[in-house]
Amino acid sequence: MGIAKDRSEVLQGTLDLIVLKTLDALGPLHGYGVARRIEQISEETLRLNEGTVYASLLRLAQKGWIHSQWGASDNNRKAKYYSISKSGRKQLARETANWERISGLIGRVLRLESQG
Amino acid sequence: MLRVLFSRLLGMIRHRQMDQDFDDEVTVHLEMLRERFIARGMSPEEAHFAARRQFGGTTQMKSNLREMRTLPAFEAVIRDFRQACRQLARTKGFTAAAALTLALGIGASTAVFSVLDAVVLRPLPFAEPDRLMAFRPADARGIPHLLSYPDFFDYRKQNQAFEHLVSYRDADFTLTDPQPPIQVPGQIVSWDLFLMLGVQPQLGRGFLPQEEEPDAHAVVLSHSLWTKRFGGDKGLLGKPVRINGTLFTVVGVAPAGFQFPVEAPAVELWVTLAEDSATRDQRGARMPEAVGRLKPGISPDQASAQMDLIAGALAQQFPESRNTARTLVQSEAERVAGHSLRPLLILSGAVGMLLLIACANVANLLLARNAGRARDFALRTALGASRSAIARQLLIEGLALAMLGAGSGVLLAFVILNAVLPLAGQSIPRIALASIDGPVLVFSMMLAICTSILFSFAPALQAIGAGVAGRLKEGAQHVAAGNDRFRSALIVLQITLGLVLIVGAELLTAGFVRLVRRDPGFRRDHLLTFNVGVSGQADFGDRLLERLKSLPGVQAAAMGRPLPLQGHQMRIAFDIPTRPVPASDRPRSDAAIVTPDFFSAMGIPLLKGRDISDQDSASAPLVVVVNQAFARKFFPGEEAIGKRIQTGKGPGAVVREIVGVVGDAKQAAAGADSDPIYYFPSQQLPWGVGTVVLRTTGPPQQLESAVRAALAEVDRQVPIHQIRTGEQLAAGVIAQMQFSIVLMGGFAVVALLLTVTGLYGVLSYAVERRRREIGLRMALGARRGEVLSMVFRHAARLVATGLVLGLAGAAVGGRLLRSTMLGIEPLDLALLSVACGAMVIASAMAAYVPAMRAASVDPMKALRSE
Repeated sequence: MGIAKDRSEVLQGTLDLIVLKTLDALGPLHGYGVARRIEQISEETLRLNEGTVYASLLRLAQKGWIHSQWGASDNNRKAKYYSISKSGRKQLARETANWERISGLIGRVLRLESQG
Repeated sequence: MLRVLFSRLLGMIRHRQMDQDFDDEVTVHLEMLRERFIARGMSPEEAHFAARRQFGGTTQMKSNLREMRTLPAFEAVIRDFRQACRQLARTKGFTAAAALTLALGIGASTAVFSVLDAVVLRPLPFAEPDRLMAFRPADARGIPHLLSYPDFFDYRKQNQAFEHLVSYRDADFTLTDPQPPIQVPGQIVSWDLFLMLGVQPQLGRGFLPQEEEPDAHAVVLSHSLWTKRFGGDKGLLGKPVRINGTLFTVVGVAPAGFQFPVEAPAVELWVTLAEDSATRDQRGARMPEAVGRLKPGISPDQASAQMDLIAGALAQQFPESRNTARTLVQSEAERVAGHSLRPLLILSGAVGMLLLIACANVANLLLARNAGRARDFALRTALGASRSAIARQLLIEGLALAMLGAGSGVLLAFVILNAVLPLAGQSIPRIALASIDGPVLVFSMMLAICTSILFSFAPALQAIGAGVAGRLKEGAQHVAAGNDRFRSALIVLQITLGLVLIVGAELLTAGFVRLVRRDPGFRRDHLLTFNVGVSGQADFGDRLLERLKSLPGVQAAAMGRPLPLQGHQMRIAFDIPTRPVPASDRPRSDAAIVTPDFFSAMGIPLLKGRDISDQDSASAPLVVVVNQAFARKFFPGEEAIGKRIQTGKGPGAVVREIVGVVGDAKQAAAGADSDPIYYFPSQQLPWGVGTVVLRTTGPPQQLESAVRAALAEVDRQVPIHQIRTGEQLAAGVIAQMQFSIVLMGGFAVVALLLTVTGLYGVLSYAVERRRREIGLRMALGARRGEVLSMVFRHAARLVATGLVLGLAGAAVGGRLLRSTMLGIEPLDLALLSVACGAMVIASAMAAYVPAMRAASVDPMKALRSE
């Protein structure tokens, strides 16, 4: 496992967290909706191919943190709607706490290093 | 983890549906993006491309998702594996130590498993072996007995449970065609033996029903006898060969490798029970055993119930000839494994403990190494490597290590097998089949996987368990505390199991020595015994003894059977006329048939009365000689000489007078006690020739050629076999024990070595980690001796805990051992203290080096480092 893989793991983990949070905040959404929300909140700083959202959705579904269901979109198209599950909510809480701890820690470590 | 695995498995099955779903989703998504761009004022064409751009490459996306839905590609696993191998190659010393430890554990387990597989697990080499059942009558205590022919015929005729029920018994045959004569082991069987086993003779046929008639003489030869003695001549079929002086027609040749019964020695020919015509009406003559093939759909229990009914009816009908009102129906494979099963299971248990010790050692090594990598793991977790990724990496490293261990272990197993199989000889049925083959290799691979999980689980938990933050801050120091407790627990486990193994090996050895050293009741020095074949001459036995007595170097010559300690016991019931009892309660005892001079030739002392002499002929008053145990058991507090016993029943009953009392020669092969036995003069119970016994003046082996020459002078047609000295006779059936003891002893030594190196590792690591603390203590005035004793106290705590637990385990283990071998005292204090002593001394040695290292810490240096 080289560095490259580690980096992509960070991004994947982050994206998954964002998608989970989005579904938690906004309720059931289709992939398009999730992409729009990310575009909106990241204010164009997080540029990504919208297709990657689906990889994230699949990972979350495999872990049982989200469910999916076919439904009709606003203009009556057949679309797959994703919603957060109970265990997904728990995971979100855990990940949030973890994230806060690690980001705080990394910050401290980096400050330490620069003092070093 | 499991959930992901499951959904991925599902993904493999439903991949088409899922691909379709995703296509639909993508189409809708692109459509909506396009509409959005059109609403912003793009032309439909521009919007189409913009949407594509924003979504990214759909083809690659699809293939990525498809890969995610199924299990990780083989390639990815190989990549992880390569990474693990590189890691192992970087730390060569560690890898060698761990792989060697695992090789010892896996190698020993593989060797034991290959024996277990050959003896117990492998199905019998016959058609549908599951339906083959050993059938034996049993007494009220469930102890199996032999059948008599009339009983066998009744069971065979009346039961509805067996397709075929076949009697069989061992018999040696003298084959005089072609010259020179040889003695071969054979079997006397029912006609449908080959039919029942589903075995087609290679040449000719099996027996026919009418070949059970008294005047029929048909023989089936083994493949090896046919090729070796008759040059594989196909023309032999239908021709007569001379066996025991009678002409038998060769009706068939068994296929190569065919063996029935499957236990040794290899049977060379089969004849029908026509050979036993003399006893086919005698319900008291118990000779054959039986094996049957269950009818389809009949369970062993149903068969047993049916046979019990027949047994009950027979017991009522013929009360005087039996004490067996029950039967045993048991899988034939189980019967074959028989007495070997328990020792093998105990060996399996022992080798399992050895494997656990090895795993604990490797786990300890890994824990020590991973402590050094803790900072690395923590950093990677912080950078986003998932915990499961780190755990997976550690598990795959463990697996790589285990594969290395298993590979060398298989080689080791090969060496072990070659070394110990000869020890077992023929004492364990089918053991010669043990080899490192497909199933055994699969087993050792499974062991590798299981052990790698066992020994890398704890280190993996440790690596990912502790909080990331704490570990980044404090690095190795922090993990070490929890780590130490765990490592200590592992060492205690090792000491516990090690002690159990040592005590087990000791108990077996002590029991063995006791058995070898026990007084067999006869003088084993200057004693030569051998068996001879059947002669056509009526007075062959007398003439042979006469000739042998005249040989220089022979003090006394006699015949007797069965000889002591050989496992062939003959038990005969009798009555004491002055104390009549019901038929079912008749006293029974071992019996033997002997010629005059038997006791002096064997070196069994005559204690009272007189020896059997030439005057005790068929026409003289009938007499017996009994041993001390017999006199004590049946005539307690009385003078046995002059007492009368009655043998036989009904018109055949005769009264015999006890004329002498001799010392207790042990009859049972493994028994520690002396059983009662009475000896008949051979002329008053002429049941054929026994084993020849010679008391020699010089070394018994030197007489062998003279004996052969003497036999040839008396009858050139008679072969000689089973020539043994008294020492060999006394050794009896100890081969199986030898096998167990060598393996157990080896396991115990390896266990001790592993435990000691494990302890050494834990202590040196602890000293290394506490170097600063020790330096501080010394700087504050602690003396060398105090530091030394601190390390030794640490060791002592671990060892003491292990010993206490180990003693408890040993008590349980000893009880198990006692059930496999007589003469074992599970709570032998001397042996237990020797085992504890060995463990304590070895541990002290293991603690010495780290303790010295601790005591020689330079306080200034230790405090300055870090």
